[in-house]
Amino acid sequence: MSVFPRRGKRAEMAISERELSQMTRELDQLHESTFSQVRTTLDELTANLGQVVRHSSTRRSFFLGAAGAVALGTVAACSSGSTPPAGQSSPAAPPQPPKETYTGDLKVVALATALENLAVTAYGGALKKAGAGELGTVPPAVATFVQTAMKQHADHAQAWNAVLAKAGKPTVTDAPLSITQDQVAMLTAAKSVPDVAKLALNLENIAAQTYTFATANVTDPGGIITAATIQPVETMHAAILNFVLGQYPIPDTFIGVSNALKPDALTVK
Amino acid sequence: MRNKIDEGRFRELLEESDDLHSDALRSARAGLDDYVEAAREARLAARRETSRWGPVAAAAGVTGAATLLASGTAWAAGDDIAALQTAAGIENLAVQTYKTALTLPFIGGSSANPVVKAFAEKTMGQHNEHATAFNAAAQRLGGKPQTAPDPKYAEVVKQTVPKIKGAADVVGLAITLEDVAAQTYVKNVGLVSTAELRQLFASVAGVESQHKAILLAVQALVKGGTPELIALPPDLTKLPAEAGSVGFPDTFYPTAMAAPVEEGAVK
Repeated sequence: MSVFPRRGKRAEMAISERELSQMTRELDQLHESTFSQVRTTLDELTANLGQVVRHSSTRRSFFLGAAGAVALGTVAACSSGSTPPAGQSSPAAPPQPPKETYTGDLKVVALATALENLAVTAYGGALKKAGAGELGTVPPAVATFVQTAMKQHADHAQAWNAVLAKAGKPTVTDAPLSITQDQVAMLTAAKSVPDVAKLALNLENIAAQTYTFATANVTDPGGIITAATIQPVETMHAAILNFVLGQYPIPDTFIGVSNALKPDALTVK
Repeated sequence: MRNKIDEGRFRELLEESDDLHSDALRSARAGLDDYVEAAREARLAARRETSRWGPVAAAAGVTGAATLLASGTAWAAGDDIAALQTAAGIENLAVQTYKTALTLPFIGGSSANPVVKAFAEKTMGQHNEHATAFNAAAQRLGGKPQTAPDPKYAEVVKQTVPKIKGAADVVGLAITLEDVAAQTYVKNVGLVSTAELRQLFASVAGVESQHKAILLAVQALVKGGTPELIALPPDLTKLPAEAGSVGFPDTFYPTAMAAPVEEGAVK
């Protein structure tokens, strides 16, 4: 079942379609000015990852650090199983685990895509609830925030999916993550703008920390710099959400990684 | 500016923020040792590589390659230190600029909006912590601490300060500095030699961009003639629609304005 909501009417949103269209046009212009540069980086990333996919023996060097070791263990478990010599069947041999679709840096790319999709789901769900009047009156600034942040997350997901597609991997169009079920349940239970803002803040903080983690745990230069250019955008979303909630907008002096999603949070093989 | 704020509540929020900050800082300080240790190991490994391959290359008559290898290694090690020193210089300038701004009546004086004043004070403190972290890392790697401000943008600040007439001018200057800092650190993530230093730069870039986001929102309200809406908690019903998106104009953070690695290196 897709976690993506259907587009709903926006009867309760205090922003006109004309204003929204104008805002979206302006955003697109800004977006296009920075996106061409990113597209080049992503093309390079794809080319590098394509090589890596063809030369799978280099996978072991993909991850650094403790979480990387976990990922490595998984990859090793999949790739190191040797076939017994002919005639030496082993009845006690456990069944081979399913082959992983996403490994190494591509697993982080898939993780990032899923996380971006989850953010789009959360903001899309908020819009749907707002349209149905389930959040009370939504102030114009909040409506604009939701629309803009959702579009940026969709663009991030699109960028990462382009990498997966060019590397010959299935794109990630859903949010196959260990946290998705809880987040969707929280969204379903949300009854006010602050409820939604808290949910979104949590997701933005997770995204920011995941990208911070990725800068240290991805090995491809294109992947590193792409994560580095997305991370500040997520932290900026978080700052505005803190402000909306009446909290100090920049509580941390350094962005941590303790709440980062690690590659094993990706539930798709 | 008309002030609309529950000062007691705001003070509580700052204290809560400080608690969070202290936790994060403890974690960052512990992490800093890891950053430095990993960078040191990378340098030693690079030296070992040089000593291993340099003579081989020279013996084979590939002196150019040996020289290139040696200089490349020296550059890589110096590159990390220079990047950290340049970052410290940018942070030093930010601290100086916020300090100067706080002497102005409309930022730190009697006519100041308390939220803006508290933001300037807190942000100055965060930049100070960043400078300390970058300098500590530079020193642990064998470099000197950078105690001076970034030379290029110090000149920009010097030329701008006499022309400041109101809060909007200060906010505009602060946005420039925060943006340069964030762009520099994002770019440095792709330049430094170890995973730990990449994470350090990323962890600070995310904070500078948050400063910029809030400053962009403040700037929009000041320029829009509604500075009274700069309040915590804000009156969401009165905020203009644009206030919801003005703080994060880029889908991917740019790096075109990043300071070159050597810009603030200690000579």
